[in-house]
Amino acid sequence: MEAVNVLTHPQIPGEPTQTSTTLLEKATATIQGFGPVNKIHQHLCAFHFYGHDMTRQVEAHHFCGHQNEEFRQCLIYDRPDDDGRLIGIEYLVSEELFLTLPDEEKRFWHSHEFEVKSGVLFMPGVPGPIQRQDLEKVAKTYGKVFHFWQVDRGDSLPLGIPQVMMALTRDGQLYENLAQDVENRYNISFAKERENRAYMTGPAHGIHPMANGGGKGLQTVLREVECKPAGVDHSAARVFV
Amino acid sequence: MAAAAEQGGEKIPPGKPMSVEQHMLDKGAQMLQSLKPIKQMNQHICTFALYSHDMTRQIETHHFATRLNQDFLQCAVYDSDDSTARLIGVEYIVSDKIFESLPPDEQKLWHSHAYEIKSGLLVNPRVPEMVVRPELENLAKTYGKFWCTWQTDRGDKLPMGPPVLMMSPQPVNLGMVNPDLIVKRDDKYNISSEALKNARIEIPEPEWINPQADYWKQHGVGFFIDVEATEMKKTVPFP
Repeated sequence: MEAVNVLTHPQIPGEPTQTSTTLLEKATATIQGFGPVNKIHQHLCAFHFYGHDMTRQVEAHHFCGHQNEEFRQCLIYDRPDDDGRLIGIEYLVSEELFLTLPDEEKRFWHSHEFEVKSGVLFMPGVPGPIQRQDLEKVAKTYGKVFHFWQVDRGDSLPLGIPQVMMALTRDGQLYENLAQDVENRYNISFAKERENRAYMTGPAHGIHPMANGGGKGLQTVLREVECKPAGVDHSAARVFV
Repeated sequence: MAAAAEQGGEKIPPGKPMSVEQHMLDKGAQMLQSLKPIKQMNQHICTFALYSHDMTRQIETHHFATRLNQDFLQCAVYDSDDSTARLIGVEYIVSDKIFESLPPDEQKLWHSHAYEIKSGLLVNPRVPEMVVRPELENLAKTYGKFWCTWQTDRGDKLPMGPPVLMMSPQPVNLGMVNPDLIVKRDDKYNISSEALKNARIEIPEPEWINPQADYWKQHGVGFFIDVEATEMKKTVPFP
């Protein structure tokens, strides 16, 4: 595929943070409790593409915490820096939890087997043998991702509606230039890591046919609904097949 | 603390407790990785939000905010402030200057913050009011866009469905927060929203709140995200 989607990190409009604001926020950072955030212990780098458009691909830095052995919740940033933009959220679940979901819901979730086994999903800074102990578990999980900020089209602000995102499922999908950019930056080789991960296996029951959009693209659409008077239930999402 | 994660005896989310091995892997990763964006979160905000498509459903929210410049904050939103808290969404906060630059169709998705601050609903737990006053004056003039990805208030054990758009408390019928929710929150932090409201009388009201924000007030509509199956644009097979 042609090289496209060069990494963008658009400038957010606005004034630089004032010194007084910085000082105030240093105080709040020191005094307040950050319980939920302190649970975030892991940085994973991978790629997502839009659920309706594989040609738009985004490097995604996940910062993850475990709710329990089978469930992780991640904040997704466009780069792992102090000024990284918070562009999305991902949830990871074990195969067991995934199988409890209704089929309609399974469509939102993508498999991780290929991303892990191909070496493309990795933990920056962590030596191979340690990474692999965790990633062999990740290979069996499913993930659900929404992005709220389309940095790949140069948006300097989070405009529009949430986007369902999907992940790599086979060779040839990921743009060469995006892959090489990451390999160079982190001084790694996906091909080499793929060899090291050959022993890993995916979900015990195989990749579920309803996962990964159920094989279809998924596109979000905004709908206006009347403000609910008592007794009317708008809460059922319409998923058009 | 485990009680906070349960509803009706069922854990949210379900799943086996973390193994010792996983704890060690986590610790190892934490020592080796720098986690910079996470360390930039420097504010905890507790407030309330309402589902735009059903404003009878109201939740207490915990925002962990990062300021990217004087006009912009990005927040990870949780349903409580303890370590078992579920990540339920993301909110972006922009100054009025940035908000005015947005197209009207975009503005419809945003809500104003002046009321929740003046009314004492929005607080920074543990920080003395006087210390945080300048920040509140800043926030009172901002607008927010809040997508909720996990509806734990209705008992969803796992995050289900597409994200939903949230709205902010407003001093108008549908936008008023259930007093029971407020009492529960106030008791937890040993504060009084009523007292804060009085203390905040001096905080200037914005001269003008853009009528595209809080869209439901003028138009009686909320928003929903539908998901349509479509042909994926691709050059290589999927999946």
